[in-house]
Amino acid sequence: MKSLTRGHLKAGLGSVRGAKIRNFWTMLGVIIGVTSVITIVSIGEGVKQQISGQVHRMGKDLISIQPAQLNTGSGESKVSLLSGLNIAGSLSAKDVNVVNNARGVDYSAPLSAVGGIAKGDKSYNQGLVMGTTGSLPSLLNQSLRYGGFFNDQDEGRYVAVLGAQASKGLFDNDIPLGNTFTFRGQTFIVRGVFNEFNVTPLSEQTDFNNAIFIPYDVSQTLSNDTAPTYQILARPTDPKNTSQVVATLKTQLTKARGSNNDFSVLAQNQNLIGSNEVVDLLTRLIAGVAAISLLVGGIGIMNVMLVSVAERMHEIGIRKAVGATNSQILSQFVIEASVLSLSGGLIGIALSFLIELLLRAFTDLQPVITWQVVVVATGVSLLVGIVFGSVPALKAARKPPIEALRSE
Amino acid sequence: MPIIQLEDVSKLYGFGDATTLALDEVNLSIDKGEFVAVMGPSGCGKSTLMNLIGLLDRPSHGTYSLDSKPVARLRQNQAAKIRRDTVGFIFQSYNLLPRLTVLENVALPLTYKGMTLNRRIKLASQMLERVGIQDREYFLPNQLSGGQTQCAAIARALVNNPKLIIADEPTGNLDSASSRLIMELLADIHKMGNTILFVTHNPELTRYATRVVYMHDGSIVHDEKTALGRVANTARKVLYNMPATTEEDDLAGVSALMKGLPDKSSIKSKRGRKSKAVSKSGQKAKLLRSKKSIKAAKS
Repeated sequence: MKSLTRGHLKAGLGSVRGAKIRNFWTMLGVIIGVTSVITIVSIGEGVKQQISGQVHRMGKDLISIQPAQLNTGSGESKVSLLSGLNIAGSLSAKDVNVVNNARGVDYSAPLSAVGGIAKGDKSYNQGLVMGTTGSLPSLLNQSLRYGGFFNDQDEGRYVAVLGAQASKGLFDNDIPLGNTFTFRGQTFIVRGVFNEFNVTPLSEQTDFNNAIFIPYDVSQTLSNDTAPTYQILARPTDPKNTSQVVATLKTQLTKARGSNNDFSVLAQNQNLIGSNEVVDLLTRLIAGVAAISLLVGGIGIMNVMLVSVAERMHEIGIRKAVGATNSQILSQFVIEASVLSLSGGLIGIALSFLIELLLRAFTDLQPVITWQVVVVATGVSLLVGIVFGSVPALKAARKPPIEALRSE
Repeated sequence: MPIIQLEDVSKLYGFGDATTLALDEVNLSIDKGEFVAVMGPSGCGKSTLMNLIGLLDRPSHGTYSLDSKPVARLRQNQAAKIRRDTVGFIFQSYNLLPRLTVLENVALPLTYKGMTLNRRIKLASQMLERVGIQDREYFLPNQLSGGQTQCAAIARALVNNPKLIIADEPTGNLDSASSRLIMELLADIHKMGNTILFVTHNPELTRYATRVVYMHDGSIVHDEKTALGRVANTARKVLYNMPATTEEDDLAGVSALMKGLPDKSSIKSKRGRKSKAVSKSGQKAKLLRSKKSIKAAKS
């Protein structure tokens, strides 16, 4: 029986080699299916790892306060998470004070957004101008490449720190320290430039590389106190007390905002759960669509096997005449179909590794192909072959020998 | 003890009005070691009989025992195992698998027995040596001449060491030299003690047989023992009166062989007595059917 199986395997490989073009088209469905499933899942996995990497860098104890209630659990909120800055209401300077003075909070920084176009050597309108305080670099755990960040003494002064992209967008020279740009009629002096922030796709975090940071009170003055504060970041004195501090902040802010519950206080690890949920949801959704293509690929294999069975009915007749039992014919054709779809699966896996390399080289995405995905993909493509191969194989096996022998 | 015992075996094809009676209550008993030639015009049921005996097909009615075991109502898989172990087939159109080499083709029945690759190859190679085409082992079937291909097919039929060999017009596609080669080979095998049944249209080939069975319209109409090396008596009449069919005979569906046969009614058999009773309309129907088969054969 073992040698028989080997013979079938050989025959299967032979028939794959035999009709190369036709078999390629047959396998294409499985190839596309496997490639897309693996690629999508690996992108999702990559994004998850990037987000958790970012959280790791900022520290799990980082607390983020944002306007609008976040209800993790219902589908609606997941969608609103995707839209990035969900500025339903906004936080106020009073809230900033509440957070800063709350018990257990070591330091905090607000982030406000001011609209307008900055003009340095070049005019720059791609990023946000953000008002914040001197604690931001340590909250984000981000170092500066050149110069230094403004501190509490710089409040009220027209100084700025640039994200790496913003620096390139505003100025011609590489090190724009001391250069000036105008924004809302005021001249700002560049104090420092941030190192490149790691970009995290699908994260609700704004891309700080494009941002221009100015002191918080300057941002309020410039906008006549209308600049919305969309986030306050805070770090507790003791990382172990993070959840207590979150609770404290919640009650104090609710009191300060007049019992309004239109904000959320989240520690980074909670944030992570939210992001992972979104990524998982999306990954599952797209992988599901891709899996349909795998199904279609399987049906394609079934079709070709049906044609192959019809074409080879005479061969089946001969095999039966010399003593092949139904199950031997059945296993021959099932093995053939499995070889076909498994080859498709392996080509798909190879292709998705190639796509992973290309994505890493040319985009911000860092897809990660885990071995589990590869194993599952291999298994599924084998399963597709067995399931969709068995219908034609049964047809072949059940044919009475004399009828099979007569057909040409 | 007969190796093949058919009792009142009938085979019907089709349904309702389109029903065709391919075999009409055939009784046949063949002993071990016989070399039987089956003759008869096209469409007389020779091949159907061969397929039934070889368990490729099942009779509609009647009983059949092969090697003293009842086999008329076997399931497909059981029949397959008996085909594998006791029957060797030789076909007119060779029926080798075109994508396998000659050696692999010959080893095919052993594959289904679950024999290891080495043993398969060894046995197949020995068998090819026996039929004299060992030097063609790694050729594909389409690279061989007709005679060589049929030799390979015979090797395949023999490789399982079957008790019974069924050859359906083994020389039908071959020239006379190759035909002789094939028949000598079969005669050799017969000498080893195998039972052989073969279908032929060529009366000359009855020289090799020990017994000749004549069929017409699904019935066995004549059955004679004959000495090895001699053309059978009935067949000889056909042979030396050739060409014996006129155009009218053709239209009437009468073959040269049938003309050479003794009058149907004079045959002292169960069938013979029955045929006397056949009404005129019945004969007409038979005639019409024969005409149809001739037309089909011509087109």
